[in-house]
Amino acid sequence: MSKAFSLSLILLCIASALVQEFGLNRLTFFTVSPDVVTIFLAFLAVTAGQRSSVSFGFATGILTGILSGNMGLNMLARTLEGFIAGYFHIPEDSHATAKQKTRRFYSAIVFAGFCGNAVIATGYNPLGLLPAYRIFVLGFLEALFTFTLAIILHWFFLKKSLAD
Amino acid sequence: MRKFFIFLSKYNTYLLFVIYCSISFFFMKLQNEKTLTKLHTSGLEFSAVINEKLMNLTYLFRLNRENERLMRVNTDLLTRVLNFETAAVDERNRRKILTDSTFNPSGYLIARVVDRKFSDRENMLLINAGWKNGIQKDMTVLVPEGLVGRVTAVSENYAKVMPVISTDFKVSVVSDSSNCMGILSWNGGREFIAQVEHIPISSHLKLNERMVTSDFSTFSMRGIPVGRVVRIKPDKLFYTVDVQLAVDFSSLTQVLIAPMKREPEKIKITTDSTLNEQFP
Repeated sequence: MSKAFSLSLILLCIASALVQEFGLNRLTFFTVSPDVVTIFLAFLAVTAGQRSSVSFGFATGILTGILSGNMGLNMLARTLEGFIAGYFHIPEDSHATAKQKTRRFYSAIVFAGFCGNAVIATGYNPLGLLPAYRIFVLGFLEALFTFTLAIILHWFFLKKSLAD
Repeated sequence: MRKFFIFLSKYNTYLLFVIYCSISFFFMKLQNEKTLTKLHTSGLEFSAVINEKLMNLTYLFRLNRENERLMRVNTDLLTRVLNFETAAVDERNRRKILTDSTFNPSGYLIARVVDRKFSDRENMLLINAGWKNGIQKDMTVLVPEGLVGRVTAVSENYAKVMPVISTDFKVSVVSDSSNCMGILSWNGGREFIAQVEHIPISSHLKLNERMVTSDFSTFSMRGIPVGRVVRIKPDKLFYTVDVQLAVDFSSLTQVLIAPMKREPEKIKITTDSTLNEQFP
């Protein structure tokens, strides 16, 4: 990983945490909001590998944790998101097509987003919702919103990075 | 040894994952430690500054609606003042409040709500007054319409408020006509309906009675309106009561922070079990 690439990842990591905390967390539908940090981690996992996504997941967890006041739980959820997204990594020397890469990127988002949400739902439930409803229904909704946001981001910014 | 290093390099991602998870669990365990709390308040301060700037932008566009709301509040207040003036019970109640030594009678603080989060991940209000302005943890937050919540975290210039519509919030309440006492909490669902428990079935609670905070509360002074009884459902021993909350949480912009209730002796006698031995 080159120095410039690492630096840009660190900046993206901070930016995604800030955008999530101050922007997207206000955009709630049915009490859930799309998660740009999950998209960042999924993109990182697909392009740079599981180790990077786990480490950056942990780092974004610290940032979102400090800003939201629930550090440990955020760190755990984001680390797990990075770890799960890492299973969708595409090695650089692979001959995967753009379509295959995109499919893996979206799968990483859905799986990682759902699992991260489940961890937070298990540890913190401020609205007193039913755990099953909170984990499955809202988890599915959040994954869906994040997926929709990912489609938009992919269309405008990530198309080139996930090309053949 | 070589095998060990080969094992490490082969499974280093798993190892990293385990280490990170362990650190996360460690932080979860130490959530209330002083250093972590300091870090959280710094984060809160930063978060509040950014949110205030963002809210200021939208505030300008909402001035018309805000004026209308203030007009409504003024009308409501005027009606209330007239009612109080004519009611015979007013004088007695006022005397009671004036002679009440359980709270510090120095003035209320006014603060603006700079951030509001109502989601399945976070449910709180952020106000632009902190310990610099005299805000302390556990202070009561209210508006002329009624109780808003209690302060749960304070930084230099901002404070985090747990609203009544939070599952962790509980307050002792009493009905103004029949004097039935109970514990008000919010169990999720609709944000304008809370529940009151522990009202015995033998009590004479009626629909539309006003619920106010009672003297039993450890943080709130008595007499703050909370809501109106809209449903009474009898259970085996107690009623399950639904209360329509007096405060509209969706349109909160300004709040009042009541002076801290000081009852060290009451807290001591309820928490210290050794004191029981002194009274045979």
